[in-house]
Amino acid sequence: MGVARRTTLGSTRTRRKNGQQTAIAYHERLEKSDLLEIYRRLWFARIFDEALYDAKKKGRLRRGNVYGSRGQEAIQVGTTYPLRPDDFVSPIHRDMPVFVFRGMTPEQVMCQIWGKANAPTRGKDSWSHMGDMSLGIVHSTSMLGSTIAVACGVLWAQRLDGRRDRVLVAYTGEGATATGPFHEGLNFAAVHKLPLIVVVENNQYAYSTPVELEVPTETVADRAKGYGIPGYCIDGNDVLEVYNTTCAALEHARAGNGPVLIECVTYRLQGHADHDETRARQYRPVEEIELWEKRDPLPRYRQYLLKTGLFSEDELPEPPPDIVERIQKAIEYAISSPDPEPHTALEDIYDESAGVSR
Amino acid sequence: MREVTFLEAIRLAMWEEMERDPNVFIIGEDIGRMGGAFGVTTGFLERFGPDRVIDAPISETAIIAVAVGAAAAGKRGIAEMQFIDFISYGFDQVVNVAGTWLYRSGGKTPIPIVVRGPSGGYVGGSLYHSQQFEAWFFHTPGVKVVQPAFPDDAYGLMKAAIRDNNPVVFYEHKYLYRRIKGPIPDASEDYIVRLGEARIRRYGSDITVVTYGAMVHFALEAAQRLEKEGISLEVIDLRTIKPLDMETILESVRKTSKVLIVYEAPKTGGVGAEISARITEQAFEWLDAPIMRVAAKDAFVPFAEPLEKFVLPSVDDIVFAARELAAY
Repeated sequence: MGVARRTTLGSTRTRRKNGQQTAIAYHERLEKSDLLEIYRRLWFARIFDEALYDAKKKGRLRRGNVYGSRGQEAIQVGTTYPLRPDDFVSPIHRDMPVFVFRGMTPEQVMCQIWGKANAPTRGKDSWSHMGDMSLGIVHSTSMLGSTIAVACGVLWAQRLDGRRDRVLVAYTGEGATATGPFHEGLNFAAVHKLPLIVVVENNQYAYSTPVELEVPTETVADRAKGYGIPGYCIDGNDVLEVYNTTCAALEHARAGNGPVLIECVTYRLQGHADHDETRARQYRPVEEIELWEKRDPLPRYRQYLLKTGLFSEDELPEPPPDIVERIQKAIEYAISSPDPEPHTALEDIYDESAGVSR
Repeated sequence: MREVTFLEAIRLAMWEEMERDPNVFIIGEDIGRMGGAFGVTTGFLERFGPDRVIDAPISETAIIAVAVGAAAAGKRGIAEMQFIDFISYGFDQVVNVAGTWLYRSGGKTPIPIVVRGPSGGYVGGSLYHSQQFEAWFFHTPGVKVVQPAFPDDAYGLMKAAIRDNNPVVFYEHKYLYRRIKGPIPDASEDYIVRLGEARIRRYGSDITVVTYGAMVHFALEAAQRLEKEGISLEVIDLRTIKPLDMETILESVRKTSKVLIVYEAPKTGGVGAEISARITEQAFEWLDAPIMRVAAKDAFVPFAEPLEKFVLPSVDDIVFAARELAAY
């Protein structure tokens, strides 16, 4: 029984015998400033989520869903912190802060959420369906497994350019590991030893469907065996464990050894989206939600920092007020940004800039 | 000028584009060591190496996805479907990933890919090696659809498709691969056939036949037969199905006032339905007869010869329909 099962929620130990663990404590090499930055990023993610739920509740955000990531912040922060600027990511709907960690401005992200003319998609698509190849942010779609296969192409382009050391971190959910493209993508990546790190955010539910109805193996990481690649099953609510495992995976991938699968076991504390809050407390046991509230990655990391003796209580405000302000500023910017002109709906369907003479 | 088969024209177009542009690569099943199931990529692996000629696992989704992802990162991928029927596996990649990427990137990330492969019937290929589902992609925004009928067009259109900045689904009728021969320009001419331009393959005065792919040859044969009966067909080879060259169609309709649309796919919901609707919308007052369609019956393409013949359109079908129209 792995922790990925609802029945074993009380234990975070049993899963460890299944997935691999990294023995190296990469985080011990981090400076105090890094440790603080990780703390601040966790809070950025938390406040981002809360601010959007609040905006939706108050009617300031009138269109589209808010896909919460409360409780999953350690994954967003721990997997991105060790990346090089030239690495790639393909975030999904529960990774909105990743867009900012990888170079987009909070304003761009908020404009996207509000569907504004100056959003990365110019109001064409919603939420996480955006990207910026110049920042190494690969656009994903609603079909989550699909991007795992697309990632292989992005990495193949690097191979053609002689840049085999650029890694792509592709995020997906445990539910999407049941899709065909997840398999075809990982299979292809493993055959050709592409530097792909697949981060499975196992938050235990695909909308309402529990993981045991999505995945037959004891852990999601077990799927890695089918591709002959390392599969880690780790505590996704421990930002340092996520960080350490990502560091190990990066070393493996950069060295030309092929892909790595990291299953980050976590929990979706909210509904699938903001419209799902009531039902999400019906199709899941309330005790389960309460249990995972106690495993909140933010206080856990704060406790760790205090224990190191490097930080005083005052240095670790909950939340850091400047981040609250920063996110609010971005929201106000988005709200005051112009809506797209209706006729632009027909732009960017085809690109005729190159023509046939290119 | 070089006299080559339809297949060789496609092979040469891809070869020359890969010589010209190091960003072009090709991925598919059995395309490297074997040179492709039909030999369209014979010699490619030896010339361009395994990084640009990828023998892929049986993974149509991944094959198209690799082309798509690489295109997003600045390359030009050609994805071969061993049979175009198998594109159904990669449907999501074409429609939801490649087709939408430019749109959802605010116009910043074009996806220059060609998804190509042998299509069509008349060779006993049965259900999964005979299909002509070009209407799927005709219906898809963001995607272009091409189906040539002659070697020179196949050559020029393939080059244009590779250089185009959009996803192109390229149908190569397998019945034509080795049956049809013709001249193509020399490599030095850098010959291109622009996407979206139809070509009148035979001029006539009584009936406009709008068609593409293998049906162009059927229509030309029908035209020859009908000439003896004093019925003159004008045969328009669309070459590119999307974008559709309505100008050429309408110009011809205004001349003949009668229209026969011929396509090999199942009749219902096919490309011909859209062409018919547009002619009605845009040239109704020029018509002297109902627009007619000759297409496959609404069935699968069966294996046994009498069954296949019954389902797929024939030269006779075109002749009979044209007579009916001429007499209208």
